[in-house]
This record gives sequence, C-alpha cells and structure tokens, in this order.
Amino acid sequence: MNRALPEMLHCLSGPGNGTDMTVLERQRTRVKWQHQEQQNYFGGSEFVGVFLEPSQAGQVGDFQDLLGGGGGSVLRDVMTRSVKPDPGLENGWPELGRYELPDLGFGSAVLMNGSPTGFEMNPTITRTSSCPPAEAQVAPEAKGKVSEPTEKMSSAVGRESFKKRKADKVQNTKVVSEDDAKDKRSKVCAEEGESKITTEQTRTKNTSTHTNNRETSADTSRENSKASEVQKPDYIHVRARRGQATDSHSLAERVRREKISERMKYLQDLVPGCNKVTGKAGMLDEIINYVQSLQRQVEFLSMKLATVNPRLDFNIEDLFAKEIFPACSANFPTIGSSSEMTNPAYLQFNPVQQMVACCGLEMGVNTPDLMALRRTISAPVSLPETYFDTPCFTQLHPPLTWDADLQNLFNLDSHQGRSISFPSQPFTGSNEASNLKMEI
Amino acid sequence: MASLISYLNLEEESKRKKLWKTRFELRYPNSRPETSWRSESEQRIYSTKLVDALRLVRRNPSAADKVSSFREIREAADRVLAVAAKGRTRWSRAILASQLRLRLANNMKHKRAKVTCCSRPKRMEKKRFSPTLQRKARLLSRLVPGCRKVSFPNLLEEATDYIAALEMQVRAMTALTELVTGPPVDRLGSTSNS
Repeated sequence: MNRALPEMLHCLSGPGNGTDMTVLERQRTRVKWQHQEQQNYFGGSEFVGVFLEPSQAGQVGDFQDLLGGGGGSVLRDVMTRSVKPDPGLENGWPELGRYELPDLGFGSAVLMNGSPTGFEMNPTITRTSSCPPAEAQVAPEAKGKVSEPTEKMSSAVGRESFKKRKADKVQNTKVVSEDDAKDKRSKVCAEEGESKITTEQTRTKNTSTHTNNRETSADTSRENSKASEVQKPDYIHVRARRGQATDSHSLAERVRREKISERMKYLQDLVPGCNKVTGKAGMLDEIINYVQSLQRQVEFLSMKLATVNPRLDFNIEDLFAKEIFPACSANFPTIGSSSEMTNPAYLQFNPVQQMVACCGLEMGVNTPDLMALRRTISAPVSLPETYFDTPCFTQLHPPLTWDADLQNLFNLDSHQGRSISFPSQPFTGSNEASNLKMEI
Repeated sequence: MASLISYLNLEEESKRKKLWKTRFELRYPNSRPETSWRSESEQRIYSTKLVDALRLVRRNPSAADKVSSFREIREAADRVLAVAAKGRTRWSRAILASQLRLRLANNMKHKRAKVTCCSRPKRMEKKRFSPTLQRKARLLSRLVPGCRKVSFPNLLEEATDYIAALEMQVRAMTALTELVTGPPVDRLGSTSNS
C-alpha cells in the first residue's frame, strides 16, 4: 500500500517543525515519494501516482470535461483524496497525515476496484508529462466509487497538496504557494463544508483554463484564482504574482530580470555607498558618479605623470639617485667598497634600482604596487636588495659595521618579507650611467 | 592592420564575444571581474606595462606642450588597461579599436573615447524601462567605452568590469606617481649620514 508514506511522514516530521524543512528537502521528498508512488501504482495498489504528473492542472481541467461534472464530485473526491499523501503536506500538519492514512486505505481500495479498467491505462502512466492519459485513468477509476463524508477533509487537503505539487516546479513561488496551501488547509480543516466541493469545482474550472503550464506564473496564477475562489476563507491573501502571461515569454522575462538584479548586486558591492540607495535609478546614479570620479582621477593622475614625465627618465635613473644620494651617499662609497670586497657582481645590480627600492621603502609606500613593479620586471635578488635596502632604514650604518649590518639586513628583510626584485631590463640602459655616477 | 581593424570591428564583436565568453566562462565559471582586477598580479602586470608604455611615450615627444603629453599618457594608460583586460570585455576592445583607428588616421582628430559602433544594434528586449532609467542607462553607456548599443544587463556587466579595472588603474597610477614624485626630500636628507 503506502509503504513509502509512513516513511515520508516520519522523515518529514523528523526535522521537527515542518516549516523548518527547506523547500529543497520538501521537493526531494516529494519527488522521491512520487517515484515510489508510481512504482506502487504499477503494483496495482496505488492510484496516487497518476497525480504526480507535473501538469496536473491540465489534468484536472480535462478531467472535469471528461466527467461532464456528473460523477465529478465523486471523482474529484477520489482524486483529491488520492493526492493527499503529499509529503509536502505533512510538514506542518502531521495530524492531517495521520488522519489521511485510513482514507488512503480506502483510496487504495478504490484503486483496486478500478484497477482492471486502469490497467489499460498503465502505459500512459509512464508518461509523466501527459495530461489526458492520466485524467483518463482517473475517470474510470473513480467511477462508481462512493463518496464519503470524510472525503471532504481529505479533499480539501488533497486540493492543497495538489496545488502544492504544482508549485513545486517553481522556486520563487514555492514559499508562497506552500504558505497559501497551508493557509488554505488551515482554514479548510478548521471548518467542514459542503462548499468545499463547490469551491473545488470552481477551482478545477479555473485550472482548466490553463493548459500545459509548468511556469511559475501559471502556478501562481492558478493559486491566485483558487485563492480568490475560496468562499469561506476569504481572508487568504494572495501573494503570488497576478496577471502574468502564462507562457515562455514571462519565464524569459523573469530570467532576464534576475540577471539584471544579479548584476546590480555585483555593482552594489563594487561601488561604495550604493548600499544606502535602493532601486535601479538611484543605484545607476551612484554608479555613474563613481565611474565619472574614477575617470577624473585617472585624468588627474595622468596629468601628474605628464608633468613628471620629462623627469621620468631621469627620475628612475638619476633623480632618485640625486634625491637619495645625500641620504645614501655614505652608503655609496661603502657600498662600492664592500661590494668590491664581497662581490663585484653587486655592481651590476644597479644602485639606482636599489635607490628606487630605498626611496620607495623610505617613502613608506609599502604598497604591493611598488613591490609588484619591481618584482615583475626582473628576477629577485635578495642579497643586494637587503644589502642596500636596510641602510636606508637603519640609517646608514658606518662601513665598519657593514658586515654585522649585513646580517641584520638579511634578518630584517626576512622578517619584513620584502624580497624586492630589481627592475633590470628597463633600467639597464640607465644603470650603467648611474653606476658610473655612483662609483665616481 | 586592416585585418586587425576588422577583427576589432564591432560588427562581429557580438558573435565573437558570445563565443569567447561561453568558452571562457565554461572554463572559469567562477572568475569574477572584481576579484581578478583586485589581485596583486593584475596590478603588477599593469604597472610594468604602464611604465614601459610611458617610456615609449617619452621616447617620442610628439608634442611639447603638456596637454598633448597628458593626453598621450592618458591614452597609454587606457591602452595598457585595455591590454591588461586581455580583450575579454567590450570596453577594452573598444579602447584598443578606437586608438588603433586614431593611429591609422593621424590627420583626423578623433575624440579619444569615441567609438564607432558598427555592430548591428542589439535588439532591445521586450522589457521597457522607465524614461529616467533609460536616460541613466544611456549616460552610463556613454561613460563606458564601446557600450553605446549594448543591452542593459550586458551594460551592467561591462560597467562592473570597467569599474574594477579603473580602480586598479587608479591604484597603480597613484603608486607610480608617488614613486616618481616621491615624498619630500628632506626626509631622506635627515637620514643622510655623510
């Protein structure tokens, strides 16, 4: 029978409050349940699988047409009853589920009776997307079944589960639909009513107007129409979208809108001060202002660079040296001498570069930019770097303590993690010139 | 050069971009433009390229006055930025294309940011914005180079990348100017030991 259902109920009531279960979990359990139900149907014991088709609205509509409304009430009852063991239902209404179990037993009995007629429809059940076959299955099955007074309750519940299942396909209206369903369920279960069947009728009639709709808008509009048709619980608020076209265009529109909103969110993160403003217009204003300010900044900086530009050549080669020369002048002779002592190769590493490094470091512009600037241009040379770096920092130790300083330099450098590579290629041309200057 | 121009021709740009973008995004689905522009490596690359470009600019003192040199520097900075973008974005291609056209037609005076968009105008989608929103979108599209006739979501994407790139450019150029102009000398002089 409903072997899966108790499991579902348990697992659903397991997480505690049904509302705590995420939508995804509900979906998953529902899908699982649906599969199981379908399998059960092939065993001839479950009728519910029929209603697990995605396009049940169409089914319902055609179902109505097929029945002609005559034995429709019975059929509807059976249908709704059969769809009631929806795991999504049980989330917040475990008592309902327990209540429905006996009904389901009846339903399965009903199914059994109708199985001979239903078997011919078996092949159609496999097609999960076909509406009419499912309805055709429903029709013969439910014919001749006795309606029960308890069916009202289950029918109401089934109605909501029916609606809920349709809303499964859509993410963004899921909560809405489920909430709607829950609200309706609460209202419905709170009161019995012969009007249930009438409302059901109206609802199914409304659903018959929509065909083959898997779209969110379709579901929500159906929800809306159903909600509006409920006579007794008039205070149900419809939150889903209304008036949306039930076709692929609306879906594309929604996708596009979501794309736009996603990109606006990116921009919001990027542009400072965009958080305070909401809405596209304000944000666009902020974005435009920000882009303009950035462009102005670039212009200003390029102007600055332009004024410095004539000096740029010398700057990197001479100006630095001049600027730093007095500072590191004491270094230079010592550097020269010690470099001769230690390694003539050191002279190859342009003192200017090191001056650049010193200057940069002295300036306190310890930004990654400068490091990057030097790093990228040539291979890192740690020894000379530290050799010349820290003199600026340590304020030019006397040459006598140079060796001792070297140790400090290395330590310092390792501590500070500064491995400044020397920009060799661009400066090689000027290096020799400045080298000469230095050495003189 | 003509082939290059035609390559950068915005007529085929939409097709190329779609193809390129899908391939690229398939390989790197999670590469956000902001993160890539903010990385150190990007700034490094940009800074070095900028320095080289600036050196070239200096080598060719085409104009003595400051204005043209400033413009040259600005152009060089933007060009380097566009190159750093690796041509993935529309605005970078537009910058390169416009500068290329400028260079080819030296006698004509083009506005630097002007981009002749030969691409077939993208069919505006059904969704219509309010006139104010449309006006602002036009403004933004004028600011971002090469995005005159771009649909709104693409425009936003281009703007995102452009803003991130501009931020990096500002950072790099600030550092460069600081490096070049440097702090006051007396600070260094105080440390001299001579």
